[in-house]
Parts: sequence; C-alpha cells; structure tokens
Amino acid sequence: MSALLALQSSPLPDWAAVAPALILALTGLLLLAIDSINPTSSNSPVLAGISTAGSLFAFAVAGWFLIEGTGQAATGGEISLYGDALVVDGMSLFFTLIFTIVAAMVSIASMDYLSKQRYQGEFYALVLFAATGMVLMSMSNSLATAFVSLELASLPSYALVGFLKDNKGSIEAALKYFLIGALSSAVFAFGISLVYAATGSLLFPDVARALSGGTGMTGVLGMGMLMILGGFAFKTASVPFHFWAPEAYEGAPAPVSAFLSSASKAAGFAVAFRVFIEAFPITQLPAGVDWVLAFQILAVVTMTLGNFAAATQENVKRMLAYSSIGHAGYALIGLAALSANGPNANVLGASMAHLLVYGFMNTGAFLFIALVEHWGVGRTFEDYNGLGAKAPMASVAMSVFMFSLAGLPPFGGFFSKYVLFYSAIEAGFWWLAAVGAINSALSLFYYSRVVKALWIEDDTSSLELGSKPVGLYTAILFAAVGTLLLLPAFRPVIETAQTVAAALF
Amino acid sequence: MVPPQYYLLLSAAVFCIGLFGILTRRNALLFLMSVELMLNAANINLVAFSYVWGNVTGQTFGLFTMAIAAAEVAVGLGIILVLYRDFGDVDVTKVTTMRW
Repeated sequence: MSALLALQSSPLPDWAAVAPALILALTGLLLLAIDSINPTSSNSPVLAGISTAGSLFAFAVAGWFLIEGTGQAATGGEISLYGDALVVDGMSLFFTLIFTIVAAMVSIASMDYLSKQRYQGEFYALVLFAATGMVLMSMSNSLATAFVSLELASLPSYALVGFLKDNKGSIEAALKYFLIGALSSAVFAFGISLVYAATGSLLFPDVARALSGGTGMTGVLGMGMLMILGGFAFKTASVPFHFWAPEAYEGAPAPVSAFLSSASKAAGFAVAFRVFIEAFPITQLPAGVDWVLAFQILAVVTMTLGNFAAATQENVKRMLAYSSIGHAGYALIGLAALSANGPNANVLGASMAHLLVYGFMNTGAFLFIALVEHWGVGRTFEDYNGLGAKAPMASVAMSVFMFSLAGLPPFGGFFSKYVLFYSAIEAGFWWLAAVGAINSALSLFYYSRVVKALWIEDDTSSLELGSKPVGLYTAILFAAVGTLLLLPAFRPVIETAQTVAAALF
Repeated sequence: MVPPQYYLLLSAAVFCIGLFGILTRRNALLFLMSVELMLNAANINLVAFSYVWGNVTGQTFGLFTMAIAAAEVAVGLGIILVLYRDFGDVDVTKVTTMRW
C-alpha cells in the first residue's frame, strides 16, 4: 500500500501507460534470447514459466492501472500517445486483462501439451507477440495502428496454428486460417484506403470530425466502412468471414485454439468497438450509411448459424469451434443494440463483461480438450464416455464450463448473458434478446451432450489414462474457479465495464 | 491533374482482379499474388488521396502496408512450404482432411 501511495505521489510518465504491451513484448524477446542459448533443448517448465510469469505481470499491471483509474475520467481522461495513434483508457485496460489472463492460462497448459515438441521457445514467444498485438489493438486510435496491430496479432497466430509441422490437420488449419486471414486483411486495408479517400485522415477523432462536416463521397465512405467491418468479422470469427474458424480450431494444437477463440476474438471486438464508436459515431453518419443495421443482421445470422451448426457436430472440438462463432454473435449485440439516445454504455459494457467471462469458460473448455488429446482419447462425443469416472476433477471443471457457456444459473456465464440480453431489451431491441435467448436454449442441447457423455454414458473403451499433467490441470482448475467466482464477483466487473464503456461515447 | 475518381476506378479494378484471382485460382502461390494485388489496390488509393488531401498520412500508411504485405508473404510461404511437404501439392482444393 505504501508503494502504491509513493507511485501516486510521483506520477509515472505517460508512456508508462503502455506498460502491459511492453512487458509482453519484452518477455517474448527474453524467451527468444533464452532459447537461442540452447536451441535444441525442450526445457518446457522454464520457458512456460517465464511466459506465464510475463503474462501475469502484464495482467497485474493492467489491473493496477484499472483500479488506480489510469486513463479514466477520475485522473484526467484518456492518455494519448505517439501523436494520438495509441490511446490508453479504461476500455483498453479492461481488454488487456482478458488477453493477458488467457495468455497465462494457455502458456501454463502448453507446458504439458508440447512436452515432446521442438521449437518450444518460439511457441511461447509467438504467443506473447500475438498477445502484444492484441493489447495494441485495444489501444489503437488510428486506422493505421489498428491495421498494423491486427497484423501483429494475426501473423504469429498463423504460425501457431501450423505449429505441429508433421500433423496434416495442423497444416491444413494453418493454410485455411492464413488464406482467409490474408484475404480479409486485404479487404480491411482497402476499406481503410476508401475511408481515407472520403475523409482525409486515419485518426479516429479526425475521421469523426470530417464526417460531421459532411463528405462528398458518401458511397465511398459506406463501402469503406463495410470492408473494415469485414476485417473485424474475420478477427472475431463472425459471418461472413467465419469459415476459417471450425477448421483452424479443430486442426490447431488445442491450447492455440483456446488462445484464438478467446483472446483473439476479444481483440477483434476491442478494436471494432473503438473504430465504430469513435471514428463513425452514430449521430454523425451521413444518410444512407448505417452500420448499426449491418451489425444487427450479422449478430442474428452469426449466433443462429453458430448454434445450429454446433448442434450437428460429432466432434467435440469442432462443436466448441461453432459454439465460439455463436458467442461472437452474442457479443455483437454490443454494437447491434446501439441507438442515438439509447443506454449505449450499458449495452457495450455488458458485451465487454461477457467477453471477459467467455475468456475464462471458453479457454477452460478448449484446455480440457487439450488434456484429453494429451491422453490420446479420441475426439468425438462417444470417445468421452465414462471420462467422469476416470478423471473426476477435470470432468467437473468441464461440466462447469459447459453449463456456464450455455448460461445456466450458478456460473459466471449466466449473469453475463442475462445482463447482455437485459441491456438489449432496455435499449429497445427486444427481438435481438429474443433471438439470443432462443439460441441459448438450443445451445444447452449440445453442451449437455458433453456432460452426458462424461458422467452418464458407460465407458466402452479400455483406454488407460496416463499421468495427470500438472500444467494442464492447473490451467483448467484456474479457469473453472474463475468461471465460478465471476458469479459473485460479477457486480464489480459489469460496473467497471459499463463505466469504461461510457467514456467512449 | 487527373480527377480523383479515376484513381478510385483504377484501384477498384485492381482490387477486383485480385479478388477474381482468389476465387478462381487453386494454386496457393497464385492466391498470394492475388492478395498482393488487392493490397496494392489499397496503396493506389492511399497515395492518390494523399495528394488530393495534401497530407502525407496516406503515403506513410502505404509504406506500412507494403512492409506488412512482405511479412504476410513470409509467413504464408512458410505455411505453403510445409503444405507441400505434407501433402505433395500446393493446390488449395486438395487439402481436405477435415469436413468443411
């Protein structure tokens, strides 16, 4: 406490506000340096430990900044850096918490998952570089930094998906992820160039100012916004650029699937929130250009498609991939339920809080898949039969994740979904909430199939599970405790989220 | 001075050629080249409108785009190389071990 007071009395310089991103990047470089000393070693506990410690340190710094009010109204508002290209405010710090905690869980779980693989130093370094890109995405205040940081998050992700070089599924997943990613980033760049053509600036506040003055090229601007939206649809695995998600999540190493489906998705939302609210404010849009309508269509289509496709899957990992598309649809409500005079901060904050809870429960679910793959159990629902008796602790955790993802009461996912749908109704978009609730009810069907396989179905295989890997168990139990604790602790989370969201409008 | 609409037409044409290549070509390397075309279409706009608006923001961002395109190709070629090793081909339609 005295240390905190001492730091308060001598305020840190402004650039220190990007400390979480710096810590992640430096930890990544440190890992490469350590790896280059002895490149052939597969000393995973040391590398995984450094990676986890770096992520947790960044998490702690971001949490400290958030509590101290760095970049928020109480301490003088957002901190702009590098000619306004980056901005640190409550929202970027809130999202940084999601990225760093997911990176920490993924790092510690990878220790066992990768135990016999080569190039482990590179693996952890890539995870941290991708996390750096995500933090910068949430801080970017210019279309240029948004594009560069989106690529900084994407390029390591392509390599991570294809990390198992001798595994055909991993390579196929990397190829499809890369092809769709390259296409959508080209579309994104073209969209940026069109917005620049119409407004003459890339900084969000300047774009908004140019819009309020009226632009002679409404059509060009509309096309540009639509294409920028496409770039975010890729990053968040929403329709129409969702095709990569089932393939990439199924083929990728399971910890990487966890990382992409939780952190990378949240990063896409972070930058989408800021771009559409700061650069294209609803009240200043020229007539005929209405991105809220586009998000409403996308939200409904994405959640319906994701949930229906998930219900037809036989492969658990693929089911989770489609369920993650469905959850992108729920989070899109944050942008779809905005209106000129509505309770916008509540809606957006609810979406952010849902992404935080989702970061715990979805990462945990994918890490359970990693554990099962580590044991060599198959991938379909039938292969999971009777796992509850063999590995009770992990199976309880998996049941928690499944029920929480479905939105059942005693878990964190219940409140986050409830508040999200409630705020949509409050904003006057009852039909969005209705579609969401119907989809949620449907999702209970396929989530409970996993639980049924784990606990009720009889075990038909004679497979003996190997040892209990410490890293994977730690990460899964941590995620399960997080999912449970977010129920009683949801009030401060949602209050923080809605406060920091209010600063955007 | 050439009116700015012409640049928009040119860049849209280049963008569509790239998109057409992506949709019709099956070779992964040609796919990469098509993506490059699309990114360069963005560069045409950025440089042209940098001149129209009288600031260098667009030109600077054009340089960024080029550097990122190069990085993207580096990662992409790496993936295509392992693809060739594992599948013996760079045809993107033949890579289907997973159900679509």
